[in-house]
Amino acid sequence: MRAVGAPLDVSRDPLVIARAAKLVLPGVGSFGAAMKWLEETDIAIAIREAVSNGAFLLGICVGHQLLFDVSHEMGSTRGLGLVRGEVQRFDGPLPVPQIGWNRVTARGPLFDGVEHEAFYFVNSYAARDAANEVASADYNGPFTAAVQRERVCGVQFHPEKSSAAGLRVLRNFVAWN
Amino acid sequence: MELIPSLDLLQGQVVRLTRGDFNTAHLYGDPEAVLDSLDVPRGARLHIVDLEASRSGRPIETGIVTRLAQRDLIVQVGGGIRSLDDARRWLDCGAERLVVGTVAATSPRLLTSLVAAFGASRIVPAVDVHDGVIRTDGWERAASASLREVFTRIESLGIEEVLVTDISKDGALRGPSFSLYRQLRELTRVKLIASGGVSTSGDIVSLSRLGNVSACVIGKALLEQRIRLSDRPTSNTIPERVIPCLDVRGGRVVKGVSFENIRDAGDPVECAMRYEAEGADELVILDIDGGTDRETIRRVADSIFIPLTVGGGVRSRDDFRDMLRAGADRVAINTAALRRPELIRECAEEFGVQAVVLSCDSRGGFAAVRGGREVTNVDSVEWCRSAEELGAGEILLTSVDRDGTSNGFDLDLLRSVTSVLNIGVIASGGAGALHHFRDAIESGGARAVLAASLFHDGVLTVADVKRYLAQEGIPVR
Repeated sequence: MRAVGAPLDVSRDPLVIARAAKLVLPGVGSFGAAMKWLEETDIAIAIREAVSNGAFLLGICVGHQLLFDVSHEMGSTRGLGLVRGEVQRFDGPLPVPQIGWNRVTARGPLFDGVEHEAFYFVNSYAARDAANEVASADYNGPFTAAVQRERVCGVQFHPEKSSAAGLRVLRNFVAWN
Repeated sequence: MELIPSLDLLQGQVVRLTRGDFNTAHLYGDPEAVLDSLDVPRGARLHIVDLEASRSGRPIETGIVTRLAQRDLIVQVGGGIRSLDDARRWLDCGAERLVVGTVAATSPRLLTSLVAAFGASRIVPAVDVHDGVIRTDGWERAASASLREVFTRIESLGIEEVLVTDISKDGALRGPSFSLYRQLRELTRVKLIASGGVSTSGDIVSLSRLGNVSACVIGKALLEQRIRLSDRPTSNTIPERVIPCLDVRGGRVVKGVSFENIRDAGDPVECAMRYEAEGADELVILDIDGGTDRETIRRVADSIFIPLTVGGGVRSRDDFRDMLRAGADRVAINTAALRRPELIRECAEEFGVQAVVLSCDSRGGFAAVRGGREVTNVDSVEWCRSAEELGAGEILLTSVDRDGTSNGFDLDLLRSVTSVLNIGVIASGGAGALHHFRDAIESGGARAVLAASLFHDGVLTVADVKRYLAQEGIPVR
């Protein structure tokens, strides 16, 4: 975020998060553990409050998955429910996890100028054909690479590891108003 | 890409020969039972070869072919078609297409009359090639006609597809002959049915990238369940990765031949940023002293926006965690995992399988430790297979024998690992020319290609390699 010129505050304080104008919810790890932590720390409530106050929110990787209604990683866990759909495991002949670049077809303000680029993914789970999908890719079948519902958006890939195309997505998020 | 299951018949049984040698016949049993076990989709094409007929020159297994042709399948049959009468006998059995081998090369007149009698779309010439020379009569004789002559004749008759087998590859599960199909792309516009050596789903993807291969015949790989017809076809547009490697010692980039004769090659941060600008898909840093220096990792991680894999000297989960905290996305472990394989499982459980790269330095087929200097008695292929089971997310496979030689990646080693693994393999060691990168992906089955000295020395740039791969039909970012 600093590389694209955004002033950045890294925080786990629910009061700070609830008042933020723009939020990034990053994440590497398991859905269940992350959701449990967000709830125990009241950050889940803070994020919902920020969004209802009109904040922009960008979820990345597991942070993107947490936006959905539910995930089926190790049993079923409720997510933040900010976008519609479910997160499921990839199945098929290609190795899981997906590790590497994949071509994404995208639209919307987040992808201005990078509608047809490759981004870097590391994931074993993804939503498929989500209602709020704004970008898709193909890995053992088509999957949702990004979602957007009003000011809430999420990207399954890692923009911070996707070189110039990824930095463009971050820059678009920073410039979005 | 159309997948055509193939049954070779001999004395009423399904058999497989290796390289057309009758002495190597392996029995798979009753044709109908075998076919039932293959899950062939309705309406699919079935390829049947009457082996005895191809040797004796007259149809033998007509009873079986009649029974198989009654199913909801498009049957094409080959073996011993040397006259219009032979052809008629197979068509009377219910075969829809005829695969004609020997006559395509030896008897232009018969090929012409077959096309005149039954139509070009029902005739599939089969061309068997060994070292660029066409073979006939059950592969026992060399034909006098050249590839060019035979294909010119075939094209002039309006024939739409030709089955091409590289005999040296057939039944060996060592991969199809990509070079032969590429050579034929220059020679003819006829669509090819690839046959021989197709043994992984990666082979099918690579064949589809050639552009002139529209179908492939699969025999042994189906019978041995290495490929299933029910598998969804995999996307062939996922970019393959080109990865420069920085071998680091004392905070400087160095490079040696076979891990010896070390030379200084620059500042890691400068190199890393240059590589990202050239289009590197990922960066690997290996500390060749085996004591990975966190400060260098932190400096590099802060200056690039592509994934960073770090290895060298990672002995424990604590070391692993330190590397991730310093900014690595993934950590490669080698010596410590060989000494205590459970380390792979522990790291996968704590940090996720995506973070765990098993680095296998292979010397003479065995895993080596301490920067390749010390060879163990652990078989490289077996080791990679158990690493996958323990939870490694990817394998970095380095041929110590090839490292720094510029003679090309060790394709046999690569293939023997990639064909038994589900996780991806990064090919490393020996890159010296553009086609080496293509071959590692196409024939070796690697999902990523890595080089160090080639890029440092400026012999080739990352951009050169990616441009070349794209020209060769291999998708890159």
